[in-house]
Amino acid sequence: MSAEPHVRFQAVSKSYTGVQALKDVTFDIARGELHAIVGENGAGKSTLIKLLAGAVMPDSGTILVKGTPFFPRSPKDSLRAGISTIYQVFNLLPDQSVARNIFLGKEPAAGGVWLAERQMMEKTSAMLATLDASHVSPRAAVRSLRVGEQQIVEIAKALLNNAELLVMDEPTSTLNRAEVDALFRNIRMLRQKGVTILYISHHLDEVFELADSVTVMRDGRHIRTSPVSGYTRESMIFDMIGREVPADLSAAAPVEEKVLLEARGLCAGTLLKDVSFSIRAGEILAVAGLSGSGKTELAKALFGEIPVNAGSILLKGRQFHPSPSGAIERGMIYLPEDRKNDGLLSEQSIKRNIVLSILPRISRKLGILNLRQEKRVAEKHVQALSIKTAGTGMPVDSLSGGNQQKVALARCLAADPEVLILAEPTQGIDIGVKFELYQFIMDQSRKGRAILLVSSEIAEIVRLSHRVMVMREGRIAAILDRAQMSQERILAVALGVETQS
Amino acid sequence: MRNTQAALGGILSSRRWINILGEQGFVVIFVLWLLFLTFTTRSFATLDNVSTVLRQAAIIAIVAIGEHFIVLLGTMDVSLPSILTVGGVFTGALMVNAHVPALPAVLCVLALGGLLGLANGAIVTRLKINPIITTLGMMYILSGIAFVYTKGRTIYGDALAPMDFLARGKLLGISAPILIMFVLYVIFHLVLRYTRFGARVFAAGNNEKASWLAGIKTSRVKQNVFMLAGVLAAFAGFMQVARQGSASASMGDDFLFPVLTAVVLGGTSLSGGKGKIFNTLIASIFLMTIKNGMILLDLSIYIQKIIQGAILILALSLDRLRTAKGAS
Repeated sequence: MSAEPHVRFQAVSKSYTGVQALKDVTFDIARGELHAIVGENGAGKSTLIKLLAGAVMPDSGTILVKGTPFFPRSPKDSLRAGISTIYQVFNLLPDQSVARNIFLGKEPAAGGVWLAERQMMEKTSAMLATLDASHVSPRAAVRSLRVGEQQIVEIAKALLNNAELLVMDEPTSTLNRAEVDALFRNIRMLRQKGVTILYISHHLDEVFELADSVTVMRDGRHIRTSPVSGYTRESMIFDMIGREVPADLSAAAPVEEKVLLEARGLCAGTLLKDVSFSIRAGEILAVAGLSGSGKTELAKALFGEIPVNAGSILLKGRQFHPSPSGAIERGMIYLPEDRKNDGLLSEQSIKRNIVLSILPRISRKLGILNLRQEKRVAEKHVQALSIKTAGTGMPVDSLSGGNQQKVALARCLAADPEVLILAEPTQGIDIGVKFELYQFIMDQSRKGRAILLVSSEIAEIVRLSHRVMVMREGRIAAILDRAQMSQERILAVALGVETQS
Repeated sequence: MRNTQAALGGILSSRRWINILGEQGFVVIFVLWLLFLTFTTRSFATLDNVSTVLRQAAIIAIVAIGEHFIVLLGTMDVSLPSILTVGGVFTGALMVNAHVPALPAVLCVLALGGLLGLANGAIVTRLKINPIITTLGMMYILSGIAFVYTKGRTIYGDALAPMDFLARGKLLGISAPILIMFVLYVIFHLVLRYTRFGARVFAAGNNEKASWLAGIKTSRVKQNVFMLAGVLAAFAGFMQVARQGSASASMGDDFLFPVLTAVVLGGTSLSGGKGKIFNTLIASIFLMTIKNGMILLDLSIYIQKIIQGAILILALSLDRLRTAKGAS
């Protein structure tokens, strides 16, 4: 490791229409180290990545790469400077082969014309072997690969580019445990080869497991860069969110007598079979299960997104035939799991998104909208959920992921529902905002609202819920109350190692 | 010297021009075209000619309102010109053949237009058939019906005389069709901007599934939009009969290109959820001006076609260039 840093950020600032994404950021990334960047959504992590990738230019300040000023005008300049970026959403051509993807734009050609197919395949095989993925065929279409294997294709692309700095944005967010282990082996192998790695993650465990040093960002500012050993878990979280971790939230509200939502022998879609449960006012009932267990389908069936084949649903004691508009009229609302495709109108303003489910309530005679009321309602919720924005008239696209999720939640709360179905409300959201959302979910339950919390995060379930319904193969495998609830037990039931009725 | 060069460079920088051209796309071409015609032809910049252009634009512009709503939903309706034809032929049938007075006749025509639009909407929302295919089928059916009814002959007669006011009458010194066009545009601008229905159209056009999950009855919104487009197209048929003093099964034939082009040139996003209705109005007038100018310049109808097609592609390319630059 030489004394000169691989990358030096010097007083770098960047703002997008009204929002300051980076403020006077200064820090170094040493050559050959694994440098983690942590921070909440909106802390400025993705802007840092975009600066290095040549996707945006700083407003002021300079970036030095290996001692020379770095002013990339396009992603190509960045590649030329030895910087490769692997985004959360891969940049691959799904219908092309692995080899074609790796060699995209650098295809070896015999005589400058004929594609040297065999050479390409051989080189691809060799690269896959170094990445411990010799089981992947160079000829396979990328679409047919698993997520972890697609990621390996991305890494191979970076290797072919002779990347000296590899930027990885949330690389484990879509991987299963075995894939994560494989990824970590590859990352360590790359570091041994002298590649500098910039690793952006929500998961502090990973940071402590992998990183040499860590930079904490908050609200676009650089808070601290230090060797990982200089941090404890607690001090890192403190730096990330600027305050202590909230105390145990599980001081749950008392549950009332009144049953608000009940399902009897519900069969729906192709998966759900004979599901019966009830939720009372003030209760948080979590739904746990592996993917494919039917927990997402349950939420969808209750809201009419997939057809109910048999059984019945009672909403506030009366028969309910699921449909989104009918549900909302009767006080039940749904926060969909896929916020980008199902939850938000990307091209509409923040305020329009917030009032979307209560358009009748903000209109006057003849269906004329009360735009002043729209703004008032929106501003109230923006404040209550502390959504960071330059104004409610801004497009919802201008917000960071965590704030977008808050807008989606604001739409639900604006409808003043009695029953909330929340599907993966904190997925892809980082720690600080996550705690805020937990606080909100608890508050809703204290107000006597019934909450069905569908979640893949068992820690979240144990923290928040009064009872958990564990699903497996479309059926309820067990319903556990607080006394019986533990992370291990939930997982065991979900896996089918232990059953209990 | 160097300073002036730098300044010139700034003014002429290509990115800046693409931005201006793209943002106001066709408006810039429009202004250039107006200037060109004003200086090359004697009759263009006369009040008389301007009024003629606007009156010709009126009917296209009225059909384009409906198409604008449909494109806001992210789809297209190619049957509107044939609804116009059927509306026109129905007008002729009622007034000339059945001696129905103008007022009840127009109400019947509007109802028929609404019914046809509703049929489109029902097929699209209930049978889930692609809207473009649905309306393509509808276009053939309706144009066939119009021919079967008229047997290819033109319907005309003294009974149509009271309608003349709609084509040539004046209110407050403004020609009736022009006034009707402006009033309709103002009304539907307000509808889009300030009503629940407008909000639902934008929402469903932006993201149908998310809107549905948020409790908006997107099928109903779609149905209503198809119905509205049908009513407006049939009304335009009524106006067209007033204008030409007759009805025939081919009266809507030349409307498809200008109506769709007006909406697209006006910058309404083909993927839905984004667009300004007044830009559709300006684009309708623009298209008519182009046509009028080409007639004044004595170009053949075939050359006119080539130029119209080229303008459509050119305006869209400018728009694309701008968004591509903006994104980077």
